[in-house]
Amino acid sequence: MTLAWREVRRARLRFGLLAGAVGLLIFLVLFVQGLTDDLVTQFVGAVRNQDAPVLVYGADARRNLEGSQITPAQAAAVARVPGVAESGPLGEGTFTMRAGGALVDAVLIGVDAGGPGLPATLVAGRLPEADGEAVASDRDRGDGFDVGDVVRVEPGGAPIRIVGRARDINYSVSPTLFTTFPTYEAARRIRNPDARAVNPSAIAVRPEAGVDPAALAARIDDEVEGVEALTRQQAADEAPGVSAVQQSFTVVNLLFYIAIPLVTGLFFIIVTLQKAGALTLLRAIGAPASVLVRALLVQVGGVLAAGAALAVVLLVAADALLGATGASVGVDLSARTVVVTLVIVVVLSLLTALAAVRRILAIDPIRATTGAGVSA
Amino acid sequence: MSAALDLEDVRKVYRAGEGEVVALSHATLQVGEDEIVALLGPSGSGKTTLLSIAGGLLAATAGRVLVGGRDISGATPGELTRFRREQVGFVFQAVNLVPFLTARENLLVVDEIGGRRKGPESRARADRLLEELGLAHRAGNLPGQLSGGERQRVAIGRALMNEPRLVLVDEPTSALDTRTGTQVMELIRTEVKGRGTAAVIVTHDTRMTRWADRTLHIDDGVLSAVPAAGPEGGDAEA
Ligand SMILES: Nc1ncnc2c1ncn2[C@@H]1O[C@H](COP(=O)(O)OP(=O)(O)OP(=O)(O)O)[C@@H](O)[C@H]1O
Ligand SMILES: [Mg+2]
Repeated sequence: MTLAWREVRRARLRFGLLAGAVGLLIFLVLFVQGLTDDLVTQFVGAVRNQDAPVLVYGADARRNLEGSQITPAQAAAVARVPGVAESGPLGEGTFTMRAGGALVDAVLIGVDAGGPGLPATLVAGRLPEADGEAVASDRDRGDGFDVGDVVRVEPGGAPIRIVGRARDINYSVSPTLFTTFPTYEAARRIRNPDARAVNPSAIAVRPEAGVDPAALAARIDDEVEGVEALTRQQAADEAPGVSAVQQSFTVVNLLFYIAIPLVTGLFFIIVTLQKAGALTLLRAIGAPASVLVRALLVQVGGVLAAGAALAVVLLVAADALLGATGASVGVDLSARTVVVTLVIVVVLSLLTALAAVRRILAIDPIRATTGAGVSA
Repeated sequence: MSAALDLEDVRKVYRAGEGEVVALSHATLQVGEDEIVALLGPSGSGKTTLLSIAGGLLAATAGRVLVGGRDISGATPGELTRFRREQVGFVFQAVNLVPFLTARENLLVVDEIGGRRKGPESRARADRLLEELGLAHRAGNLPGQLSGGERQRVAIGRALMNEPRLVLVDEPTSALDTRTGTQVMELIRTEVKGRGTAAVIVTHDTRMTRWADRTLHIDDGVLSAVPAAGPEGGDAEA
């Protein structure tokens, strides 16, 4: 222990640089992960955090609400499938709205009041109970979508009053409102006054108690022509764009993940080789190899701990900076993600440090008598 | 009284590629509890080999090695590590100090790698040794900031730190000028004699043998009380 720290103290710059590099890499891993999660949440938060366990899309929609339509006949057929406790329409569309005095493109999602498909993550106010009421995303509260605010679909739509806020219910990275189906229908008619009937984009389904959502989705697929039923999880993960985003970020992250243990492992091999003379001497005067290995592992642990601390500081700073600049993305990290990432990094780094451990175990103390340990 | 070191018919053969090098042949030697023996011989005669075997760093090819009456010939590597840590004080020919530890820490490390003493006791002993060796003012210096003689003195302190039964010193003066070399030898004698410890001091400089109680000659791996015939060993006590 003392041996390990004394060495670090004598080579502060060297160990400091390593800890800095490790910290930066851990930060990048977590930052990219946080950005990905945040982006994905903004893409499909509305799907993930609505309360219907099963969503039924039009078969041609390729899992995209935007291009999906359900006919009244299909809706009725879904409702009749055994195991369906409750089903209701879910309409989705992007509209130009006036909110807080500005015009913004926002997503309106209409479902039955009290029916399936409403947000499950309410943080303030209440859910819409009457037409003209809506729940907004907590993220957009500062942009004219707070409880008590009134927004309108342009041009000339009726006022929609925000009665509640829910966490992470955005769709397509836009401000998002959950409202009643008739309110949604009215918005559609503003854009397209001649439409005869407004079909829902999907059907939100709640299974009967004890019915597995995945099994029910499969049954709906079997029994209803021209639809694709998905569990909530599938609908979120397999939404177009989401898997592509996740895949490309995963590749980037994998590279960082590999870089950390490589950098640490290489560093400690070099350091161990450089002080081979001293290690040989210590073995010769009776230091058990385990004492020297422990000193090495203490140093590895110390560097990783310092790196992790630095990474957390950088993350907090980056998040604050993104918030201050009003960037549309943020860092969305759960404590679990951070812990899992750190555990992976520590385990991989300890694995690569084994190369240095092997070097220590291979030291032959006899070389202290010749000084050969110095160059070996 | 058992001998501090007892070599009985020790033989060491190095295998070098096809051939063999007999580094020690039938070496028999006893060193008393507080005796200082000088081992004098030309380069390559087997001096370091003998010290390594006596100190549990190297296994003999044949023969028995007893330190303080205990036979270490068949000991396991782990037992030998412990033996070196507890019974032997080494001053090596080349590397002796850990470069990233100060003079004082180079003494303290002896206890930190598993020695008997605890923190305050260990520090007190290190400070007393440094004082005796005239290094108190250098205690906080790294080896790179010390002169050759100072480094050698720190190494002696390090070798005495664990209160060894046997001190093994390999060429303590070869890198030093005569005056510094004399000082170092004087110090070794004072420190070792003051503690009643046995010591074997290897040298190829006949002038250094006067600090020993007894001088043994070694040539081509053969020990003898008198210098072997030949140009190198013949001028003892000139
Ligand atoms: N690992 C080894 N493998 C083969 N031969 C060796 C090995 N170590 C030493 N020798 C040989 O054994 C003989 C004795 O070597 P040793 O190191 O004991 O000599 P020495 O008396 O200490 O010499 P010096 O005064 O130069 O230090 C030499 O001939 C040397 O070349
Ligand atoms: Mg030698």
